[in-house]
Amino acid sequence: MKCVRCLTDNASKVAEAPDGSKAWEVYVCSRCNFVWRSTEEPEVIDPEKRDPWFQLADVDVDDILVFSPVPPLRK
Amino acid sequence: MEESGLRGFLKKLEKAGQLVRYTDEVMPEPDIRLIGRAAVDIAAGNTGPAVLLDNIKGYKGKQLALNVSGTWANNAVMLGMDKDTPLKDQFFEFARRWAGGSDGELKWVKNPPCQEVKITKDINLYELLPLFRVNKYDAGFYFSKPAVITRDPEEPGSVDKQNVGLYRIQVQGPDTLGIQVLPFHDGGIHLRKAEEMGVALPVVICLGVHPVVSLMASAPLQYDKSEYKYAAAFMETPMNVAKALTADLDIPADAEVVLEGEFVPRERFVEGPFGEFPGSYSGSRRQFRIKINTVTTRKNPIFENLYVGRPWTEHDTLIGLNTSATLYFQLRETMPEVKAVNAIYQHGLTIIVATDNRFGCYAKTVAMRLASTPHGTSYAKNIILVDGDVDPFNLVQVMWAISTRVRPQKDVIVIPNTPGMPLDPCSEPPGVGAKMIIDATTPAPPEVSREVRMVENLPDAEPYQKILMDLQKAAR
Ligand SMILES: [Zn+2]
Repeated sequence: MKCVRCLTDNASKVAEAPDGSKAWEVYVCSRCNFVWRSTEEPEVIDPEKRDPWFQLADVDVDDILVFSPVPPLRK
Repeated sequence: MEESGLRGFLKKLEKAGQLVRYTDEVMPEPDIRLIGRAAVDIAAGNTGPAVLLDNIKGYKGKQLALNVSGTWANNAVMLGMDKDTPLKDQFFEFARRWAGGSDGELKWVKNPPCQEVKITKDINLYELLPLFRVNKYDAGFYFSKPAVITRDPEEPGSVDKQNVGLYRIQVQGPDTLGIQVLPFHDGGIHLRKAEEMGVALPVVICLGVHPVVSLMASAPLQYDKSEYKYAAAFMETPMNVAKALTADLDIPADAEVVLEGEFVPRERFVEGPFGEFPGSYSGSRRQFRIKINTVTTRKNPIFENLYVGRPWTEHDTLIGLNTSATLYFQLRETMPEVKAVNAIYQHGLTIIVATDNRFGCYAKTVAMRLASTPHGTSYAKNIILVDGDVDPFNLVQVMWAISTRVRPQKDVIVIPNTPGMPLDPCSEPPGVGAKMIIDATTPAPPEVSREVRMVENLPDAEPYQKILMDLQKAAR
């Protein structure tokens, strides 16, 4: 399934409303870790309506800045 | 027996008229965000209530608490004071308790309430907890008020070096968390050591704890000081802790929800953005990941989260007075002329210090001292100095001091190119900034100033406030 943020085909359903109401489902993208619920506002879950500032469509996730670099292993 | 933990505190809030139950059905998004926003917006962060919701669509029956530490009225209840207590009086009570330091007592209990329910299979946090997107463009559903507990992997037996920290956490999968821990955080030191050793660091995340535990978790305590012992000293009662099930970590015995797991060593994963306390979104970064293997809860647990975003929010209230008290004591070590410190604005990006002038221009040296404390080095961007008899928590008085004392050509000083706070949206490049000092104190000799007599303060008028307020209550 297509992720609404990075637009790759890495999203899948991970949860349903636990009270059995089928009120919504939750989706996760395994590439950019974006998470959304099926009932959220269009500006959040519709790629056409999302603010482009927050999209990760043309970004290589391995290039994203690291705050805490992995330190060298002790010998 | 009086209930402890978050539940006990909610009872106290309810008794003080500071807890409301929201029983109408709401959507996880955007309704919860709007209710959290509204609760703190009432009277600009002063009198709004905590909110307990139990009718969230899809999560029917699950309980969510918002705005628990959100307002000064709730903070007063935490301090055992009347909810109408002025902020300056709350500050002095806070500072008195804070001065109790790290000498509190811990009591280890067996079969704690937080382990009444145990889940080790098919963990799905999206279904277990009433999660919601805090701000519209957050990367997902966040824990904004977790207590994250780790130990120093080189000294795993040390309770004092055990850390309880408040770090933002994104639920990135049914049993998977993304977490921002920065290298200078105590938890960051534990993580660096574990990764150098090539081992997975055990971690426990507690959700729904007494507000004093959250308070200590968000305070910049020294590396070898126990947040729990500080919490016990602050509450003036021993702190009940229990052992986690899967690791030698201590947890608040009455926590509502406990997530146990391990950091994934030597890998980073995309996390963010998240609406942060300066009122701006952080960017996407690659951060640490945690895998959860065990969840324990109380029966019918209350999930607690806080709304953070455009200030004023609960985050500001939560960290406001501990930031202020820490700086107050650091300044007073060598500068007893300092009367009070108000560092509640954006974690102390703007700080107001009330101080007497020991001699001419002395206040400016107070500002320089403040700017070189550990916290002030990157925070303390705008420093406002007022006379010792001005209440720095009363902005009407502060503006009066600025209006009538400041000679802009002498009293406003900008120090360019200093350390800055990366989350400050105008720190450019992130981490570089400047300091501004506004000296609104009355000049003292040998500095010369115009001969003028200010109208005297009337402290004797204060008791009449209570009389008038009681009369006003009776008149309703
Ligand atoms: Zn994605």
